[in-house]
Amino acid sequence: MSPQTLTKPEQDQALEKKLQQFRDLFADAPELGKKALENSIATLRSQASDPPPPVESAGRVGARLGKISELTIIVPLAPGGAKRLRTFLRILGGNLSQGANKVGTLHTMRFVFFDNDTRLLFATAFDGDWDTYIDDFVAKIPDYLDIIDSAWDGWPGIRSPGAKDYLAKHQITAEGWYVAYPDLTVAEIQRNQRVAKAVDEFLDKIG
Amino acid sequence: MATQTVPANRPKQALTVDEKLQKIRELYADAPELGKAALKNGLAMLTQELAAAGLAETAGRIGARQGKVSELTVFLPFVKGGAKRLRGLLQLLEGNFKAADAVGTVHDMRFVFVDNDTKLLFATAYDGDFDPYIEDFASKIPNAMDLWLSNFEGYPGMHNPRAAADWIAKHQIAAEAWYVNSPNLTGAETRKLERVGKAVEELLDQIG
Repeated sequence: MSPQTLTKPEQDQALEKKLQQFRDLFADAPELGKKALENSIATLRSQASDPPPPVESAGRVGARLGKISELTIIVPLAPGGAKRLRTFLRILGGNLSQGANKVGTLHTMRFVFFDNDTRLLFATAFDGDWDTYIDDFVAKIPDYLDIIDSAWDGWPGIRSPGAKDYLAKHQITAEGWYVAYPDLTVAEIQRNQRVAKAVDEFLDKIG
Repeated sequence: MATQTVPANRPKQALTVDEKLQKIRELYADAPELGKAALKNGLAMLTQELAAAGLAETAGRIGARQGKVSELTVFLPFVKGGAKRLRGLLQLLEGNFKAADAVGTVHDMRFVFVDNDTKLLFATAYDGDFDPYIEDFASKIPNAMDLWLSNFEGYPGMHNPRAAADWIAKHQIAAEAWYVNSPNLTGAETRKLERVGKAVEELLDQIG
């Protein structure tokens, strides 16, 4: 419901109802949580009139805020895969910049081994929709990706028709997703950097 | 200094690109066929990567860093009822993370429920080092932190920032690889550049 359709008393009523929902949710929380909620009520009340843009879907799977989406994949590692991939990444000094820059729509990317090296977390922040993003990987750095993904248990290869299904099956959509600058793609951030640099140079010349 | 004898504990010379490539080839000798083929076909890209690679940086106590931007990745165990409560909280908040805006050093953060709601994966990209980052949260938004972290086992509360930081570090796993597209920009700088870009556009519009 947009605010225009509600009168002031109706808005107040909706807010009080919502705050009650918070209280109900925390009724059986640990003391620390209950206290934190009571201390947060004033803030929640003041923020209610200025809601953030809604988190949307990144397409097939994943959450998106503005222009930036999240991809969070947890895969089982094949026997020997953890050792090989970890050593590979260490030889690279944990640095995959050249490959990732080539994709061009990637903000951040991390590889994290856990559960005694039986599982790997692969998490990225990227521009736009899921399908396009995966297509970008396939088009731009397919072999690079397979050097890494060949450590994953059951991975069919990025060129396989089953690749997207494999990725989607192992992806878990985030239930909370925040980006500090949701309106900026990678390309726009880079462009703004160039603009700012040009402005600086221009001002230097005048000054 | 060339004239002095080399101390015994002198660090080993960094490997050359060719030596690194050779190591990777040996490493992939027993990889699945897919991996071997990928290595062969991806050699050009890999050589480029090795030639450009800098040193891995850390975010201080724990976590990887690229330039100004660090990563924090934790798996936190829920208390009984904690998953249901946190999910409800995130739904009621409807994506409202104004508290994170207030801290100002967060680039992004995600909350992912894993392993049948027994654990939460929390992963964030942020500016600077681990300890100042946590201290920032403790001083600026302790209530917002307690509100969601009280759903986890052993969380000591943000009123004790040192204990809270120890608790987070205990559950954190440093990334083995960490990529940031614009490692030279803090979140605040990115937002400032956004304003510069807009201002220049408006200026050019007015001239045009």
